[in-house]
Amino acid sequence: MGIIGEWLRRLGFLLRRQAMEDDLRREMEAHRAMMADPRGFGNTLRLRDEARDAWGWRWLDNLAQDSRFAWRTLRRSPGFTLTAIITLAFGIGVNIGMLQVVNGLLLRPLYEGPEQILEVHTRSTKPDGGARGLSYANYLDLREGTKTVFADLAASSFLLVGVDAGDGPRRAIAFAVTANYFDVLGGRLALGRPFVQSEERPGADARLAIISHRLWQQRGADPTIIGRTVRINGDPFTVVGVAAEGFTGTGIPGPEVWLPLGADDRLSARDSHELAVVGRVRADVPVENVAPALATSARRLEQAFPDVNGGYTLTASPPSRLLFMPGSGSAITALLALLLMVMPAIVLLVACLNLADLLLARGHIRRQELAIRSSLGGGRWRITRQLLTEGMLLAFAGAAAGAVLSSWATDAVMASIRPVLPVALSLPALDIDWRVIAGTVGFSMAASLVFGAWPAWSLTSRAVVSDLKRHVGEEGRQPGGIRIGKALVVCQVALSLLLLTTGGLFLMSAMSAATADPGFALDGGVLAEVDPGLAGYDEARGRQLHLALVDRLRAVPGIEAASIGSSFPFNGFGDSRLVAPAGGADPQSRSVDAVFAVVGRDYARVLGLPLLTGRDFSDAEMLPGSAERVAIIDDALAQRLGFGTNAVGQLIQFVEDEASDAKQPLRVIGIVPTINHSLGNAHPFPHVYVPLGQRYESAMTLHIRTGKESERAMLGTVGRVIRDVDPRAPVLRITTWRDHLDTGIEVVMFRTGARVFSAFGVIALLLAVIGVYGVKSYVVSRRTREFGIRIATGAQPRALLWQVLREGSRTTIIGIGIGLLLALGAGQFLQGMLYGVRSVEPLVLAGAPLILFAASLLASFIPAVRATRVDPTVALRSE
Amino acid sequence: MPRDTGLPPGTLMMVVLRVLSRQPLHGYAIAQTIRQRSGDELSVEEGSLYPALQKLLIKGWVKGSWRESDSGRQVREYRITASGRRQLEDEMAEYRRMSSAIDLLLKEA
Repeated sequence: MGIIGEWLRRLGFLLRRQAMEDDLRREMEAHRAMMADPRGFGNTLRLRDEARDAWGWRWLDNLAQDSRFAWRTLRRSPGFTLTAIITLAFGIGVNIGMLQVVNGLLLRPLYEGPEQILEVHTRSTKPDGGARGLSYANYLDLREGTKTVFADLAASSFLLVGVDAGDGPRRAIAFAVTANYFDVLGGRLALGRPFVQSEERPGADARLAIISHRLWQQRGADPTIIGRTVRINGDPFTVVGVAAEGFTGTGIPGPEVWLPLGADDRLSARDSHELAVVGRVRADVPVENVAPALATSARRLEQAFPDVNGGYTLTASPPSRLLFMPGSGSAITALLALLLMVMPAIVLLVACLNLADLLLARGHIRRQELAIRSSLGGGRWRITRQLLTEGMLLAFAGAAAGAVLSSWATDAVMASIRPVLPVALSLPALDIDWRVIAGTVGFSMAASLVFGAWPAWSLTSRAVVSDLKRHVGEEGRQPGGIRIGKALVVCQVALSLLLLTTGGLFLMSAMSAATADPGFALDGGVLAEVDPGLAGYDEARGRQLHLALVDRLRAVPGIEAASIGSSFPFNGFGDSRLVAPAGGADPQSRSVDAVFAVVGRDYARVLGLPLLTGRDFSDAEMLPGSAERVAIIDDALAQRLGFGTNAVGQLIQFVEDEASDAKQPLRVIGIVPTINHSLGNAHPFPHVYVPLGQRYESAMTLHIRTGKESERAMLGTVGRVIRDVDPRAPVLRITTWRDHLDTGIEVVMFRTGARVFSAFGVIALLLAVIGVYGVKSYVVSRRTREFGIRIATGAQPRALLWQVLREGSRTTIIGIGIGLLLALGAGQFLQGMLYGVRSVEPLVLAGAPLILFAASLLASFIPAVRATRVDPTVALRSE
Repeated sequence: MPRDTGLPPGTLMMVVLRVLSRQPLHGYAIAQTIRQRSGDELSVEEGSLYPALQKLLIKGWVKGSWRESDSGRQVREYRITASGRRQLEDEMAEYRRMSSAIDLLLKEA
């Protein structure tokens, strides 16, 4: 009570301070009046001040006073203030923006009580054994057997389905989940109810769905959605609930729909290990107890069902946050993430250097003011604190402006990524939470310390007297302020050049990606993605539909050729296989990784590729059960397999293909030219094509050659033809080949990267210009007297102008030199992320420094002109 | 301009509380009482007295109230509170312990 009571009283004093001060004044007056000799009473003002200190609010008074003063000072120089705030807004803005993305994707807890949630894996006990999921039967046993450590266990299976919410089918992620799934993860529902036990059992055939908040929003946030239907793989499912906003399950991206576990018909058997199991550890159980309990359960399961559970144990770990990494190389993704964190940090650093410059330059103008204040008894710490307060005020204003800026930036980045992702998915809402706020305040504090405290300290370190007398004999040497200012500019120019060249490299990479040569005539073609499986069609009906579509399209006037294939270049996902010459020992060692595609007749012709040798697939090979397994390969594969010029007739085989007939060799019947399949590859990737009859893929792309002029007009025709053939056929997309490349995930990723990184570069350039301008102005204002004398003694203004510009260039050139070294290093580092760009790119390495040099020349031009306009009489009298 | 109050450091609050424990007094009267009772040995300056009184108020050991003095002047009179008495006892006990320890030390030496 003691401490709290004291604080309450203190607060009371603060709130009623006027009355409290009046009391003090009145009682001191009374005291004085009662004294025999009132002159013995000290300075009443000071005594009151001292008495007030007992309240413990001195710091608050000082802060308020400092802030008021800082506010007045800043308002008096709006140019400086605005520049400083804009500089900081960029520096802090890009950082909050990136922090928000990183926070949303990587840091923010996705579910309640994250430390208690563990994922249970089945792991092989063999030394290099892999992991697998659990079967439903094993899950049920495990749930019973681990009640001592887990409050509850939930399970889910991952499905790719076709969701049709009234606007045509789309590929989407679905989770089939146990009834307790939402409960275990603490995931709330915005509407409706979770699943119940009876809907969970395999074979329950419960056609029910809980939809994601995003899907619900896309359907207009209909409040009466409960009880309505969505089509999943062509079947109607009744919506029973809508998940809360931002709930994505245990990972990102989350599913579009949740289904009851009973809807996944793979799950009845004990050897169908499809389930991912997550559990909430009991609050009264330490997490260390989980592993031994799981080991015990695993042994029991092994003894009870040795045939399916033999050689497997159970382990637990926190669920992995990212469901999968888009693209191929996760190392590149990690590198990109690192870059996205490092680049904004450099921008912030440049911004801070800049502000240090600005404050230093400004400090010079205020030196006399500070000197007077210091001679009037303003302590060094007091003055430093005053300047610090100014810095803080700027930092907070900058952070506020930066927050606004960043929300635009994140929205723009997310908006440009979302439409090109191959499946619809739910990302957690990127709201500003306390971490982002903490981060912002942290940045502001750090920024204020870096650019506020240090110049303040260095300004107040000089002897007061010399500052009052100002200047005598100063012209010959460079005062510390200028030297430090120049060093700052060198750093700034170097870092800006680094950012500028990085931006340039990404920009060039995006340009060469957009103009990439696919190796076939891109113009004059239309593609349509169809996936009968999404409408619930089985293999027989799917095959029938594929062939019917191709046949009908071939008959349409204006269509030169049509075919079908399991993939189209540049869609970001390529199926690939290890191919080796058939026969002989150790095929693995002689295998070549090749893009694998199931294609129809005329496939090469549609792409405009001549058959180099051999023949095309026949109509018979479009149907299953044809006599011989055949393949067409491209010349790159023929070379890599060592077939030379007589590849036709050779036998090849797939290595490590899980399909049952994979070991049967295929006869090469034709050779086609190599095309580019992906922008990520430095060299064209080899291809192997097999005919439709040999393998069934539900998701196929119709390839249609239309002729250059008519491609856009044909888009509608193609859609109509498909609907004519089968109104229920799920069409995912109809577009021209050119648009497909331009809006494909690869080009857009390069383009987004270019946009983000060149934005960093431009911001850095801007900041560098501001920095150079600030320091140049400072230098010129310090040397006003020198210029005055020289003009008075007949120096030509032009000569002075050149001198100032020349001196400025020296600093810039040193900065550019250091920056070029950094840029070369960065180029090496970035090589893997860039397309069609060398790490040493002369255009960038020459262009960026030139731009920077020109900009900094321009920035020093204004102060240089000012130097030539110095009025000698004013300059000499100014002392 | 620091003036010697004659009071050992840290004892001012105790002394003020002790004076107030007899009767409520206003600031001037507190200073007078301290001087008289110490046989003019100890004096307390306004510069120390008023900060000390403010601190005592904040701590809740005294309460102040305005009243008219005998001479018809408005004065703020300080009255010791229950927690102020407890504090005084604690401080006096502590002071006695210290001073007898110091006595002992001085005698032995």
